[in-house]
Amino acid sequence: MQKQTIISVKDVSKVYREKHSRVESIALDHVTLNIEEGEFVALAGPSGSGKTTLLNLIGALDKPTSGQVVIDGALLSTLNNSQLADFRLRKIGFVFQAYNLIETLTAEENTEYIALLQGMSAKQRKHETFHILKDLGLEDCLKRRPSQLSGGQQQRVATARAILVRPKIILADEPTANLDSKTGSALIDLMYSMSQNLNITFVFATHDKMVMDKAKTLIQLHDGKIVS
Amino acid sequence: MTTFTKIAWRNIKRNKWRSAITISAVSVGLAALIFLKSFVDGADMQMVENYTNLLIGHIQIHKSGFQKNIKLENSIVNSYVITSVLKNIGGISAYAPRIKDYALISSTEGSSGILLLGISPEPEQKLSDLHKRLRKGKFLKSGLDDEIVIGTTLAENLKVDLGDKVVLMSQANDGSLAAAAYNVCGIIESGAEEIDKNLALITLKSAQELLVMGNKISEIVVKADDISTIDALSVGIKNNLDTNRFEVLTWKEVSPVTYQWLQFDQVFTDLILFIVLIVVASGILNTVLMGVMERVREFGIMLALGTKPQQISGMVTIESFLLGLIGTSIGTCIGTGLVFFFSIRGIDLSIISSALNNFYIGSVIYPRLDLISIAFYSSVVLLVSIFISVFPAKKASRLSPIEAIRHI
Repeated sequence: MQKQTIISVKDVSKVYREKHSRVESIALDHVTLNIEEGEFVALAGPSGSGKTTLLNLIGALDKPTSGQVVIDGALLSTLNNSQLADFRLRKIGFVFQAYNLIETLTAEENTEYIALLQGMSAKQRKHETFHILKDLGLEDCLKRRPSQLSGGQQQRVATARAILVRPKIILADEPTANLDSKTGSALIDLMYSMSQNLNITFVFATHDKMVMDKAKTLIQLHDGKIVS
Repeated sequence: MTTFTKIAWRNIKRNKWRSAITISAVSVGLAALIFLKSFVDGADMQMVENYTNLLIGHIQIHKSGFQKNIKLENSIVNSYVITSVLKNIGGISAYAPRIKDYALISSTEGSSGILLLGISPEPEQKLSDLHKRLRKGKFLKSGLDDEIVIGTTLAENLKVDLGDKVVLMSQANDGSLAAAAYNVCGIIESGAEEIDKNLALITLKSAQELLVMGNKISEIVVKADDISTIDALSVGIKNNLDTNRFEVLTWKEVSPVTYQWLQFDQVFTDLILFIVLIVVASGILNTVLMGVMERVREFGIMLALGTKPQQISGMVTIESFLLGLIGTSIGTCIGTGLVFFFSIRGIDLSIISSALNNFYIGSVIYPRLDLISIAFYSSVVLLVSIFISVFPAKKASRLSPIEAIRHI
């Protein structure tokens, strides 16, 4: 069966300008790529190569200076802030490098946050939250706040939050950076199986060779350009 | 509890000191608002009661035109027409007839222009507090028609004391010169200079004889059971009297300057209350704004995860509402408690009592517990706490998620 393109980045550039000066820095330079649904993609490259910027543009968190980003048929530049928020809620899951958990919520509440915004019933939410945290070895941490969790535990909670509602696309920025190799491997295996079984598209920004090896597609970035 | 309410509540708890300071500012501010309003209302009410009870009464009934032109020829001939109406109207605690005229009073040492009142001593004592203000001697009594009660300053000016003779002179109703001698039987000290300096009282019968009035009177003064019913009572009396023949005036119409002063006092109080309200609002704005600035990154995360901008602003508003709700609850309890306590015990301001007496207030002020007023100010402060969050809420909702997440 022919797989559909779910992420289409067309000739996208992103230039950052410092406030009150004319200094510019090019984060992405005329990047074009297409990713099919269910793909397991790794973006690799040195720091400052544009991996995170590209993830932010695909995730509708930022807007390109030029070019177009089309996700699941939606041209992101045509959506307003509220529509972009709804788009992210329905289509995208994020695993940030810095975890980005909500400090005032427990691990359980952080995990179910997106499900709650989507209107999932409380019973189903609680059930699925418990099971996913259990699968990630966090069943003893349900009521802990982020400040009471280790870096690795926070990363797993952030991952659980992203995958709980099974979005069409999950964008992960260095998801294994703070995990030991065993936990990191288990996490990537879980994500890979979700990609295969649930047709979820995963895009990683990573330095981790294990993730690159697992990826079906490896995109190398350098100085804001795709080099391979 | 929704997630946003939960997050808002936890944010309040997260910075306990700042939240406590804001809640304190709201509660102390509201308590001050309630107490100040109740204090001023109580003082105003006492002033009206003292002022009306002392002399002018709550309602005065005259022959039409008397108030504008106080002359003996504008007298009431058949006072029973009025008294028969008053007997059948509820809400009246007392009424009494009076003769009112301007006269000259003289002693061997001097003379002075005065307001002469002819009163019926017994009904008058149910109506006014003049008898309670005696500094020396005794009050007038029916049958003792050669006695006079005068104000303390007037007595000093005339250099007379109890038992001394004074002479009253005026123009009688028939145009003749009226003059008679009276023994000073009492000296009153009301605390109000205009009364102590200018008032003299004789019996109604004596005044009628002196001024050749027959059975005529100048006015009937009415005291209501409840000061708050005066306007309605006035309308009720008007509806039962021929208003072409009689004028029915409330104390506000008899003494418009005093009434306007009270209204000015209310406006001035409202201005002070408004300033206190601004201070309270600034406290809330400061806390909520600081809370927003502190959580820029968290808002960025929430926006990135799909939280709508309006949900972010709603959460900030909930936080402000919760702060306001706690503050107003505490403030209402403190304010109401203080007002309740002092409405029974009173606030003794005898240290400045001479100044207060000039305003008919008295040295002990009893704040007035008005639940509607308390509910009004509590609601206003609560609404202000919600309204004030609009700016920080808007600021939070307009954040760019990626810039906010990068914010440290």
